[in-house]
Amino acid sequence: MSITIHIPTPMRQHADGQASVQVVGTNVQTALASLGEKYPALTARIFENGQVRRFVNIYLNNEDIRYLDSLASAVKDGDELAIIPAVAGG
Amino acid sequence: MTNPQTRSTSDGNPQTRSASDAALERYSRQIRFPGIGEDGQRHLLKARVTLCGCGALGTVLANALVRAGVGHLRLIDRDFIEVSNLQRQVLFDERDVAENLPKAEAAARKLAAINSSVHVEPIVADIDRTNIVELCQDADVILDGTDNFEIRYLINDTAVKLGKPWVFGGCIGSYGQTMTVLPGETPCLRCVFEAAPAPGEAGTCETAGVLGPMVNIIASLQATEAFKILTGHRDKINRELLYFDIWDNVQRRIRIAPLLGKVDCPCCKHRRFEWLDGAQGSQTTSLCGRNAVQVSHRTPAKLNFEEMASHLEKMGEVSYNRFLLKFNVESYEFTVFPDGRAIIKGTADVDKARTLYAKYVGH
Repeated sequence: MSITIHIPTPMRQHADGQASVQVVGTNVQTALASLGEKYPALTARIFENGQVRRFVNIYLNNEDIRYLDSLASAVKDGDELAIIPAVAGG
Repeated sequence: MTNPQTRSTSDGNPQTRSASDAALERYSRQIRFPGIGEDGQRHLLKARVTLCGCGALGTVLANALVRAGVGHLRLIDRDFIEVSNLQRQVLFDERDVAENLPKAEAAARKLAAINSSVHVEPIVADIDRTNIVELCQDADVILDGTDNFEIRYLINDTAVKLGKPWVFGGCIGSYGQTMTVLPGETPCLRCVFEAAPAPGEAGTCETAGVLGPMVNIIASLQATEAFKILTGHRDKINRELLYFDIWDNVQRRIRIAPLLGKVDCPCCKHRRFEWLDGAQGSQTTSLCGRNAVQVSHRTPAKLNFEEMASHLEKMGEVSYNRFLLKFNVESYEFTVFPDGRAIIKGTADVDKARTLYAKYVGH
């Protein structure tokens, strides 16, 4: 199953500059693991001690996974995952 | 400012009516817009707004509010104007830089020329947990024109505690985000972002740059939210997290409403106001006789020096080892430790040090 993961600008340096990456997976966890296999440096940007870092949010088709099934939320072909960190400046 | 009560009386006094008509004439184009109307305009004229920060977002916000006739605008900023602000901070010009004016003061002067009927109250101060409640308690809405999460969580604590609406906005580079918080009705900032980005990791407008139009978009959305709140159009309020990247042509509307009550929010669910109570946030200490200030965090961070150095090396000389990172910029020398603590040499002014920390280290 092909899932599109959108990479936020501050993390793109760890993904060869790409804005989005195609991965496979059956849930959010395995999709992000697949991303981590392609770009290992991203894993440390997204996870800390196995949990999504507290200032990084993961959205599945614009829904926050925290009110879905968190990392166990099922994904299907064509789904989009967006990684969105808190934006500090202004 | 003309008292809106006087205008709304129908005592048949033609002078009162014509004075009121003249006062309202300058707002005729937004009064004609059905969402505002004469009634909405009268609400705006009576409204009190606290605007935290008068930089990029703050100047766009202040400009929109004062032109729209918001009655009282309290404008708080700790910083002075620099030439690199002019690319996006719309109320300032070269003369302000030459005069070395504080942002709040320079903004108030411009705003008085734009609309003298608005009462603008400039306050040159660092917003912290000791003064924020007083600055916000009489406001109908609190607006975020700041550049860091430390003050944003403080605003969030204050707004939730006082039950006042506030509008968050943030931008860096070509991307930005905004959301409106109606305490008890929508998720608060801590429901959506449980923690601030680690210092040095998310970038700041100084390290990653920022496009002027992005700032204008986010601040314009924030200002519109303020109009909706102040004119009583709660049904029109944005209840999603909006995210844009105008360089990559990305727009996202993220549904956040289900987070309310679902996440175990210390702030709006448990009413633990950690930033306001001082359990979270930074502490600054002027290091006597050293012309230096130490900035430290109550909750230690875990910095990634390699990543920080890659941001900072564009602006100054950086070196680091396992124990510390040294960075020279402007006339200051930063020594940053892995837990986020920093000693900034070249100033004894704690406000200046906090500004420098927010600019180059982040948070």
